[in-house]
Amino acid sequence: MHLNRRSVLRGLGGIMLPLPFLDAMRCRADEANEAPRRFCALYTANGMSLPKEKNKLSDWNWFPHETGRDFKFGNSTKPFEPFRDQLTFLGGLHHPSGVKADPHVCSDMWLTGAPLHDSSRRSYNSVSIDQVVALHTKQFCRQPSLVLSIDAGVGFLSRTGTISFNAEGKPIPAENNPRRVFDRLFRSDKSSLEIQRADLQRRIRIVDAVLENAQSLSRQLGKSDRDKLDQYLTSLSEIESRLEASEKWIDVPIKSQDYRHLDLSVTNESAPVDYYRTMFDLVALAFDADITRSVAFMLNREDGMGISDTFPLKLGLCRTHHQLSHAGDPAGQLDFAKYDLFLAEQIGRFLKQLKAFQDVNGSVLDNSIVLYGSGASTTHKPQNLPTMVMGGANMGLKHGSYFRRENGHLSDLYLSILHALDVPANSFGDSTGKIINPVFTRELVT
Amino acid sequence: MLKNFFRSCLQVMALFWTAICICSTLAADEKESELAKIFAEQLRPFLSVHCYACHNADDMESGINLELLDQGFSDRQLFLWRDLLKQVATKQMPPEEDEQPEDESREAFLDTARKAIDLARARETEKNGIVRRLTVPQYRHCLQEIFGTEEDFTEALPPDGVSKDGFTNNAAILSLSPLQMENYLRIAERVIDATMVDEGAPPTIQNFRMTLGKNCNPEPYPNKLILGANSHLLANSDVLVEELVADKPFHFLPFEMQKSFRFIEGYQGNSTVRGWRDFSSIYHAVFGCMRGSGGYPLGKAYETISAGLLLRPAIPSTEIFQESSTYGPRANFKIALRELPEQGVFQVRVRAAKYNDALLLAERQKIEASELESNPIEAKFDNLSAAVDLPSSGIYLVSLRTLRRVPAKKVKSESFKLTINKRTFSRNITPGVTSSSDTYSPFCVIRLTAGQTAIAALNAKAEVEGIRFSRLKKDSSLEARFHAFESRNPQLSVLMGLRRDCGHTQKRVGACQSVSSTEIQEYVFQGAIDDYPRPFVETTNVNYLAGVREISVRNEYTSTSDSPRLLIESVEFEGPYYETWPPRNHRRLMPVRRPGEGEEEYAKRVLQEFLKRAYRRPATTEELRFAMENWQVGFARSKDLQQALRDTFLVILTSPQFLLVTEQSSTPEAEPLDEYELASKLSMFLWNGPPDEKLIVLAGKKSLRKTLHREIDRLMEDGNFGRFVEQFAYEWMSLDKLEVVEIDRKKYPHLSKELKKQLLREPVEFLRYLFAENLSIDNLVQSDFVLTNETLADYYELEKPITSGFAFVSTPVSSELGGVLTQAGLLAGLSDGRESNPVKRGAWFARRMIAEPPDDPPPNVPDLEESSGENLSLRERLERHRNQEGCVKCHEGIDPWGVAFEAYDASGLLKLAAVDASTTLPDGTKLGDLQELKQFLLRERRGQVVFSFVKHLSIYALGRDLSYNETLWLEEQSRKLAKGDCKMRELVHFVVCSDMFLTK
Repeated sequence: MHLNRRSVLRGLGGIMLPLPFLDAMRCRADEANEAPRRFCALYTANGMSLPKEKNKLSDWNWFPHETGRDFKFGNSTKPFEPFRDQLTFLGGLHHPSGVKADPHVCSDMWLTGAPLHDSSRRSYNSVSIDQVVALHTKQFCRQPSLVLSIDAGVGFLSRTGTISFNAEGKPIPAENNPRRVFDRLFRSDKSSLEIQRADLQRRIRIVDAVLENAQSLSRQLGKSDRDKLDQYLTSLSEIESRLEASEKWIDVPIKSQDYRHLDLSVTNESAPVDYYRTMFDLVALAFDADITRSVAFMLNREDGMGISDTFPLKLGLCRTHHQLSHAGDPAGQLDFAKYDLFLAEQIGRFLKQLKAFQDVNGSVLDNSIVLYGSGASTTHKPQNLPTMVMGGANMGLKHGSYFRRENGHLSDLYLSILHALDVPANSFGDSTGKIINPVFTRELVT
Repeated sequence: MLKNFFRSCLQVMALFWTAICICSTLAADEKESELAKIFAEQLRPFLSVHCYACHNADDMESGINLELLDQGFSDRQLFLWRDLLKQVATKQMPPEEDEQPEDESREAFLDTARKAIDLARARETEKNGIVRRLTVPQYRHCLQEIFGTEEDFTEALPPDGVSKDGFTNNAAILSLSPLQMENYLRIAERVIDATMVDEGAPPTIQNFRMTLGKNCNPEPYPNKLILGANSHLLANSDVLVEELVADKPFHFLPFEMQKSFRFIEGYQGNSTVRGWRDFSSIYHAVFGCMRGSGGYPLGKAYETISAGLLLRPAIPSTEIFQESSTYGPRANFKIALRELPEQGVFQVRVRAAKYNDALLLAERQKIEASELESNPIEAKFDNLSAAVDLPSSGIYLVSLRTLRRVPAKKVKSESFKLTINKRTFSRNITPGVTSSSDTYSPFCVIRLTAGQTAIAALNAKAEVEGIRFSRLKKDSSLEARFHAFESRNPQLSVLMGLRRDCGHTQKRVGACQSVSSTEIQEYVFQGAIDDYPRPFVETTNVNYLAGVREISVRNEYTSTSDSPRLLIESVEFEGPYYETWPPRNHRRLMPVRRPGEGEEEYAKRVLQEFLKRAYRRPATTEELRFAMENWQVGFARSKDLQQALRDTFLVILTSPQFLLVTEQSSTPEAEPLDEYELASKLSMFLWNGPPDEKLIVLAGKKSLRKTLHREIDRLMEDGNFGRFVEQFAYEWMSLDKLEVVEIDRKKYPHLSKELKKQLLREPVEFLRYLFAENLSIDNLVQSDFVLTNETLADYYELEKPITSGFAFVSTPVSSELGGVLTQAGLLAGLSDGRESNPVKRGAWFARRMIAEPPDDPPPNVPDLEESSGENLSLRERLERHRNQEGCVKCHEGIDPWGVAFEAYDASGLLKLAAVDASTTLPDGTKLGDLQELKQFLLRERRGQVVFSFVKHLSIYALGRDLSYNETLWLEEQSRKLAKGDCKMRELVHFVVCSDMFLTK
């Protein structure tokens, strides 16, 4: 039970604690005894290979040819085969705003579903699902979220290098350097800790002082409408408890893990296979140590931006990533599919790791929902988005099939994910509330 | 000790009040039991027999659930009782087909119910002081006034909810959440950081100037500059960039822009180029470009001449191409640059003039001989130049004679530049084209002075043979057109933002300025960096285009009429801009310490002043002591006077005394507002922000109530009154509807996004004018003038030329325009963007103009069906819908009003085809069209219009819904008011001086 002593005293000191507050506290208490619920989004740009019929490459189609439980893996998705019972292919989904916007910004809206074509909006984008998850899970772990990309930072507007956007719709700078990520997450730097602690304590003192002042006003209110002041006090207590939650992590030691396999000297200029392996290793370790419960990783960039465009060349394929995605000839379409295969191998290895790590009630994979997909089906076509959901068996996910919903909203999948993760949400983006059933079977507990 | 003392005082007081409450509830108890008896014995039996069968909680016929009524006779129930009695008294209910009550029992029911209502109304209703959270605009204005800044820090706050009456300041709707609290904390930190400086450290100031003009740069950058797609960079020799050292009365460090760069990603047209490259020049840091797409109706979009850069109005691309893009066509001049200050106020100073321009004519424009005086002066070109001696000064038509090229196939128009006495005019010409009746073709109309006139034709390709100057006849139509042209002024505006691959994200800096002088003058634009889009790019980004910012200087497009071009000589940037150091706003918070003043004494002085501004009244002893204690703790820890004050400011800015507007009640009865509460209520109403020093002083002397009328007038005279007009007009007239409606641009090509913005301003400017001139409320229904600017004059096709640019001026109209009901923004907002919608318009009219709000639609309303095979008009489909059971009752009160607006299409203008807008009102009155409706309102329903306006004004002023008693009282008062002039300001006085406003 996390009910803070001071808050309780305050509650008894004349201010009624409204119900939502008590609910929040109970929820947190339950959570402490449960395994973590995690979310990881993996993005690949420029779509997947869906070869034309005349090229006779039907074995290399990213989407399986049969829907339902009897689907067969194609050549480019073979590495996923060992996880058949832990994954679902999803087809036919899209963001309705996608068709209206510049196709090069489909990565910006992949996790947000925002109407980016509408320039009259106050903010260019809106919050991404990983940040919604983070908002809910940050109280349980030390880092609200981990935002990764092949290129660091945010790129620039309309060619953003991150898929994560905060509550104000502003891009969240991504990290791409394994060593820096490792140092920040797993190595506690004493001096920065002291600064963090001092800053947190200063904020707590301010909130404390505001609370004290507010209570003296509350006592003077007499017959005036108390409702507003109660809302005020509740909000403030909530913030105080959030700050206190952050403070407590400063002293909690990090779970001891084996880091020997990590090669932190790799960068995005190293061999792609080494780079992705190290980055995925870091994500898996962060999940295992419960350092964060929300990860967004942009594996490569839209259009011909950034270093990832050259990866296929480094792998011995015939053209750059962007050029391959535009290919219509058999050789190009085959090589594009081979790049899909390469990515599937990397993700397959990641799944294996998640499966190997154990939580109290099963593997880390069973307690993590991994979303993999692209903002385009083939080049710049923002419909029938290639999408795969993996893991999360302990959150009611029923896998092992190829699910299609023609012109379905991707945001409905996101809403389904949020419900599975126990994040209270009635909607997300332009969701219609049509939960992806029967893949997601868990009802939101409100 | 002190705390305990207070607590015990409060306990004693609490006991005392409890005693009083018990006394006053005794009488109330008797009334309650009486009401319970009446309801159970006399009213409910009638309802059960005649009403509940249809109007129960499940069926809710017509959206009415009479099972809500009980012995409580609450305020909400009284409104329902009132409607119910009306239906029963007029025998509209029970419906004809049902069994009717005997007349006697009907009357008995009505009598008893009326008595019960009177009894209920006579109960002492509790009146408790209300507590309102500051709305987002109020919070913004409070912060701005505390810190003396114009910067907007509130972007991150979620917007306020909207009440049923359309207002966002409703106490019941304004909620508080942890998200908001977190934002309040963050915003307070930001505003304090932006205001307080380290007095000892000299500031760094960035200052540079870009000079424009043909060959103005004696040492141009030798290599080609490239700035991505669609950037038309000005010639390197026509742009000069200099870093300056600002002239300041204090010590500072000049900021030096980075000029050496190393990028790995660059551009060649649309393709990306990779590979490390080094660049070294200020011209890789600051660029002069004309980013945009091609296409312009006549003449070149821009031109560099030796005096500077000439710009035509920046026509939005929608006007030319009928589709929106984030570029706009090419007359968009932009300074692209890499570095700007992190925060603070900046100035952009533009040296500009109105160009002594000529009105270009189309090549084939037909000009009647009767427009021109005889004896034109002609000259032949020799080696592309010519000269004439003009006998008199005046306005001339200039025509050209060109030779058709041999062979004459495929003669294309070519660009052509003519200078007359060094004034430059460019337009395409087609060699050999002449006007049908003449061997010359028109080129332009220009004002010239008598004497030798040198002419040069700067185009080697076109075979220009001769030029002719014909004086325009006095009062010719061409002369009138030229006069209108000459009297228009370029509208200079500055925008700032960032470059995008597909255009830009920009926001206007300050207001657009009219450039009326033909001499170069300096125009200053000021803003705060934080209010403008910034790129969010880390400094180590190695892409040539990443994080490029833009400062745009534009000649704004106001209408389709031609206007003289804008000449820009130079653009200068300075930021952060300080007049003094430390800056004035810092000094406001942190005055100079008096000689010998101790730290504690100083902190107390600072906090006392800060508390007064933040709490909108002097702090109580308790509050000041609390703030001091907080400061002392912080000071003891940090030993830093300023740091400790900062933290205490933070506490104050997140405290409820600041964030909530509180009326303190000690009894359940109505009590008069105290003077400080009155000051805040008044300023929140009329300024949408905090009271000023004068109001607080008056309240302190307890003389605000005594001088109330004078103060109301003072507040209405003040510039801040505009904030009220804006907020109230927007919400009362539901202008949000116009903002969200998606206009079908194929059907209404002129209703662009830019025009929408002007249409949104029209009702606001109109209301502002009515208040400023203190005109009668009748003008809301019908006025013999409209408030318009150039853009709207064009849209409404007003005959009288308007030359005020974007500024709204009053102009008389004789047509159907005038009043709010024919304002295109309102009518377009109440449509679906394609067709007019009588239901939306009728519902708006019933709610907002005559305060006869329809009931909420019942659950499960059937949609307007698209009948298969039948091609029904909307009107016919509505009739069908209306005739369905359950719909008819409400629509009877909505549609007849809406139908009267049928002559107006979804763009708010009169439909081209004749339309039947005749209507029969619920009371049987027949009206032919909207004009007749307006007259009917003024003649027969003036009281109702007054009531509706005053009711909405009161709800807005109080920030809460009205009670039943207040509503009845207002109705009665409105009838009295309607006998007089009902001038707009009188109505404000009426509302403020009412008990509703003055008691809590």
